[in-house]
Amino acid sequence: MNTAEKRSGLRGWLDRRYQLSPLLDFLQHKEVPLGSHWMGWYYLGGVTMFFFIVQVVTGVLLLMYYQPGEATAYESIRFLTTKVPFGWLIRSVHSWSAHLMIISLVLHMFSTMMLKAYRPPREITWVSGFFLFALTMGFGFSGYLLPWNKLAYFATTVGTNIVASIPLLGDWLLQVLRGGHDVTINTLYRFFAAHVVILPLAFVAIIGLHILLIQRQGMAPPLGARVAPRGMKFFPSFALRDLLLWLACLMVLAALAVFLPYGPGIPGMDWELGEKADPFAPAYPGIKPEWYFLWEYQLLKEFPPHLFGLEGPQVCLFIIGILFAIWAVIPWLDRRAYQDRSSPAFSDLAWAALLFLTYLTLMGWDIGANGAIEGLAAMQKVARVCAWWTLAAGLVVLVVRSLRYQHRWFVFSGAALLQAALHGVFGVSYLLAGTISLGLAILAIAVLNFTRSSPDERRAN
Amino acid sequence: MRTGFVITGLVLAAVGLAANRGLAETKPTLSSLLTAKDKDGKPIITQEERTYFDGLNENLKGLVNEVVQKQIVTRPEHLGMLLSLELRPQKMELLLKNNCALCHSDSEIQTPEDLFSLSPKTAGTPGHMNLKDLVDDVHFQVGLSCAGCHGGDPTADFGHEFVKQWPEKDRTKKRAWVAEFCARCHSDPALMHQFNAALPTDQLAKFKESPHGQLLLVKHDDRAPTCISCHGVHGIRPAKDPQSKVFAQRVPETCGACHSNAQIMTGFTLPDGSALPTTQLAEFKKSVHGRALLERGDLGAPACNDCHGNHAALPPGVASVSRSCSICHSTNASLFDGSKHKQAFNEHNWAECSKCHGNHAIAKTNDSMLSTKSGSLCGDCHRQFASNHPECIETANYFHDTITQMDKARTTFITASEKLAQRGLDVEPIDNQLNELTDALKKSRTYIHSFSHAPFQQAAAPGQEAAKQTRALVEKARQEYKYRQVGLAVSIAWIGLLMLAVYLKLRQLET
Repeated sequence: MNTAEKRSGLRGWLDRRYQLSPLLDFLQHKEVPLGSHWMGWYYLGGVTMFFFIVQVVTGVLLLMYYQPGEATAYESIRFLTTKVPFGWLIRSVHSWSAHLMIISLVLHMFSTMMLKAYRPPREITWVSGFFLFALTMGFGFSGYLLPWNKLAYFATTVGTNIVASIPLLGDWLLQVLRGGHDVTINTLYRFFAAHVVILPLAFVAIIGLHILLIQRQGMAPPLGARVAPRGMKFFPSFALRDLLLWLACLMVLAALAVFLPYGPGIPGMDWELGEKADPFAPAYPGIKPEWYFLWEYQLLKEFPPHLFGLEGPQVCLFIIGILFAIWAVIPWLDRRAYQDRSSPAFSDLAWAALLFLTYLTLMGWDIGANGAIEGLAAMQKVARVCAWWTLAAGLVVLVVRSLRYQHRWFVFSGAALLQAALHGVFGVSYLLAGTISLGLAILAIAVLNFTRSSPDERRAN
Repeated sequence: MRTGFVITGLVLAAVGLAANRGLAETKPTLSSLLTAKDKDGKPIITQEERTYFDGLNENLKGLVNEVVQKQIVTRPEHLGMLLSLELRPQKMELLLKNNCALCHSDSEIQTPEDLFSLSPKTAGTPGHMNLKDLVDDVHFQVGLSCAGCHGGDPTADFGHEFVKQWPEKDRTKKRAWVAEFCARCHSDPALMHQFNAALPTDQLAKFKESPHGQLLLVKHDDRAPTCISCHGVHGIRPAKDPQSKVFAQRVPETCGACHSNAQIMTGFTLPDGSALPTTQLAEFKKSVHGRALLERGDLGAPACNDCHGNHAALPPGVASVSRSCSICHSTNASLFDGSKHKQAFNEHNWAECSKCHGNHAIAKTNDSMLSTKSGSLCGDCHRQFASNHPECIETANYFHDTITQMDKARTTFITASEKLAQRGLDVEPIDNQLNELTDALKKSRTYIHSFSHAPFQQAAAPGQEAAKQTRALVEKARQEYKYRQVGLAVSIAWIGLLMLAVYLKLRQLET
């Protein structure tokens, strides 16, 4: 008679049918590796998961009242937020949670990048995480239109227009996305289907794989240690800490939803219902996408109408595509991490990406414009103020990295800062500044490789 | 001998050829004008002008060719200027068939006094000789061009005999003839019907009876305006055209051109014998009407002619002031007519509306006008002229108190509503009540003109009720917000307790 058969009660009853003991044994022995780095980074995935659960719960509650349709979409949201008990709270929590989920997801992604947790055997975990990130962006974009208000209508018109720049397939894709030539109620139906059916199904499938891989392979041990020197029991120590953080997140979420029910009031993070969408009304200036799309929006603005015989937006989308592709295959590009060695170049690349995104996002927010956003002088002023902010942030990062973490590799982050300085402070065009910075970075890497390689290697070459 | 004939023949042939060539050089063709270059080798006809020409239909291209063939247009600069107008086809056809305008727009053959140019200021030509104005003239557009006033046949005549039909001497200084001249057509209903059946034909009759007409036609004072003083000369546009000198927004400046000029107005007096002021335009610009018309572009606001008339312009007398105002402010006027003030104003021979509100400088009314304190409109007047009616002071106090309370409540609740909306509360019922309050407040301000307790109270009562309702709704919304805050505090306390329990459990497990 084995252990399962010996057990009595519900546990024994379940054990005899579903053989739970191996699973419970696995969970009892599961450990989270502890390294020299801060433990907090390990909780970001769980926090993202918490916000996703909140999204599902509040999304289902919203779905009970939301009615997609030309005469009902806006009206049903209005009814929900003004007449339904706690309807305002559900919508507010759903909106806040969406933004917080993206923040925690981005932090989770960059912490994974810095800790090189993507190295073998966890490459597919990184790639599945990348797809989860892309799907989250899709949730944000599709959900934005659903209230069918004026701001959402025009932001979606501008946002979907970008697709038209894709060579050959652009027009077709635009029609598929919009359900016609223009943003109409058909677009809303599509976005609604995507937001509540297609994206959640895909998300659940990929998040299932993501979690399965993490459970199967365990969390990544610190770099250089195939087996973690010490660990923390997943149950109950890590799980209770996770719960503690989730409760703290719930507390923050509730406070934000009550005190700032329409968001903090900054462009791209504001969900006041406003007026109903009117397709015949003229678009008004200053329409901006959600804050997490601002960098792409700004990058598109920095491109001239035509470049290399192609349309500027086409080249921009091509470059954005390359950047995303590089990001997705980083586990295979980072050869040193592949060999379980430290790879300062890729840590620096992550910082450079953050500085690059910061500069573009600040410009997209018109930081420093003081109300005047039209005209060359205003754009130059915005670029200058944003460049100084980025340079200040970059300087702090460089000092902390070099003093606290003894980092010595700053080529990529230096190039990102140089681009911001050339463009914002010295008035060089954004693309030229980028080309100069990238060229200098490549040159610096070549020089570094040459000086660091051994004399024998050089002779062999 | 034969050789001599041959040589003579050859010489004659050569001379003939040379003469023919010379002729070809002096008679330009359309293509030579279009492709002509200046001394630096640059094309004289610009790219835009050439594009416009290429876009013309065949008929118009034929007309352009015809005026070049007839040597009315002989220079590329002249052709370029005509093309640069970029006229629509109908207008271009009228211009190309108008020899007067074509000849008088060639700077090579006209003196500055007779030259139509694109910019009279820079060309040094008289202001009314503007070619752009000419082609936009309402008369030009219906085919009534130069000859309509100046006589002659613009398609055939190149002589100027017809000009003699006009007064020969001082025709620009002594302008009394102009009104009769315009009236040849404008007083003829049958003729005007062909162009615009809606146009009146009584302008001359009215003008003759007006102070302006009397001054010009009877007293022969050439400071008085005539038709062209207000409507312009070449470039007359319909009154509804924003560029017309008599368009509502331009009327104050048009009238003010004379009435703000102290030199022109010297010697003119008001009925009471005092000098005619020249401050009307300045006052009007600052007034509630002037700001509405000139700053906000509200064409419903009155210009000078809405109160004074146009062709029969004259100052409204004491008795007719209220009639002018009542055209727009009908409710106020009718309430005033039924009030006790009507009789009192008549006894004092006061111009009704303007006694309290002024005339050209009418300022935006404010509730302090109703105050009975010293220095206020109602209080001062009643102390001086109706001190034996203390009940009037009471009524004014009641008006003032009711209106100021309603206005204060409205301002307070608008701020409260905005604040509550920012906090995510449903403010639609509050805003509905605020609309009621605003309407009632507006109506109450109008019903002051009844100068009577009961009608005013009837207008103010819904506003007072709306203010009460709004207060209750604002209070309810504030309570709702408080409830949310309390709910949040309780939730946070519960979550906090749960966190504490988890934390304690964790410590227990790990020690």
